[in-house]
Amino acid sequence: MEIKCYIQASAAISPQQSFSGEYAPQFLPLEERNLLRAQEPGYAGFIPPNSLRRMSRLLKMGLTAALQCLRNANATVPGAIITGTGRGSLQDTEKFLHDIRTYEETALNPTPFIQSTYNSVNGLIALQQQCTDYNNTFVHRGFSFEHALLDSLLQIQEGNAESVLVGGFDEMTVEHFFIKSRIGYWKSALTQPADMLASGTPGTIAGEGAVFFLVGTQPAPVEVRGIQMLYRPAPDQVASQLAQFLQKQGVKAEDVDLLVIGRNGDTRFDHFYAVVEKALPSTATNIPFKQYCGEYDTAGAFGMWTAQQELLSGRHKTALVYNHFYGEQHTFILLQKH
Amino acid sequence: MEALKLKLKQQIIEALNLQDTKPEDIDDNAPLFGEGLGLDSIDSLELMVLLERNYKIKVEDPREGRKILQSVQSMAEFIMSKQAA
Repeated sequence: MEIKCYIQASAAISPQQSFSGEYAPQFLPLEERNLLRAQEPGYAGFIPPNSLRRMSRLLKMGLTAALQCLRNANATVPGAIITGTGRGSLQDTEKFLHDIRTYEETALNPTPFIQSTYNSVNGLIALQQQCTDYNNTFVHRGFSFEHALLDSLLQIQEGNAESVLVGGFDEMTVEHFFIKSRIGYWKSALTQPADMLASGTPGTIAGEGAVFFLVGTQPAPVEVRGIQMLYRPAPDQVASQLAQFLQKQGVKAEDVDLLVIGRNGDTRFDHFYAVVEKALPSTATNIPFKQYCGEYDTAGAFGMWTAQQELLSGRHKTALVYNHFYGEQHTFILLQKH
Repeated sequence: MEALKLKLKQQIIEALNLQDTKPEDIDDNAPLFGEGLGLDSIDSLELMVLLERNYKIKVEDPREGRKILQSVQSMAEFIMSKQAA
């Protein structure tokens, strides 16, 4: 028998004021570059000062979002901790590489190296919450959070865990922003989030964030019905796979009344989104979530958080999250309100 | 010696990111680990790196390191002895 999986709680650190739990997405003004920076909360109530001083930005964001998620669920120790990150702590990676060069491979500080490893956040959560169960981090670019979610659903389906803390996190540094700008990731002209979808130019706006969910068997208002990933599909395959995915979940296209979509105004890849929009009823509410969080490897987690918030508001019943990362990694996530 | 100890305290605060700690808060003879500043094993590695980067002194024997990193005083004495040699 298939075990149902619900979202019991969530927490999001993003460019929006999402950490307080308030869902009121806004177009944030950009002044210098096409980058939506995450609004960091106060960490003092979450992380002991002696640990805090050593942690880099992404570790603090990831750990705090995870701890807030557990607090929101009135839970302390999850049955498993599974995360996804496309880049891990870039700040630490850059510092470590910079030091290798500056000090000619001698006198290297261990902390940036330790923290640059992708599973640092998972380790910190496990240490702080004394969780010795299954612990895994997926690093698959635009499939990182999605694989973490899939693994979580499988762990629950197989009875290995009754609840799983699952999340995605990524940060953007000035240096990485520059590197990616050279290969056309971002729009060349400063573009406001409110204008990005209609810009008619290649590239998008960068973003960052840390989003966690506690998913599990205990009934809650929002159920995770399923997830499907497609690697480098043709546009017609996206349409046919969506139809199969919905059929497998026992949902008709006309039942989907909310589409949370990864449209990011990049003219090179927008046609995929048009395919999915066409396959769903025109009456379905369409929320392009990257206007609020920017583009990053694990932005799909913010998309799922957006869909969950919309469903909790009671305005919709069935939500499809469709996202892809630069035309390569495509994902459908289906959520339903009970 | 006093100037070296002050410089060491400033370097320790910066290297270990000891926010809200000022050089005058660190007692010359107070233990750096456990009580006192409450540093841990990763901090000890960072202090070794500090000695290597700033004073070109490499501590080869970990047992020796335990004695050297006992306090700011012991670190300063060690640096002075190496520089004199």
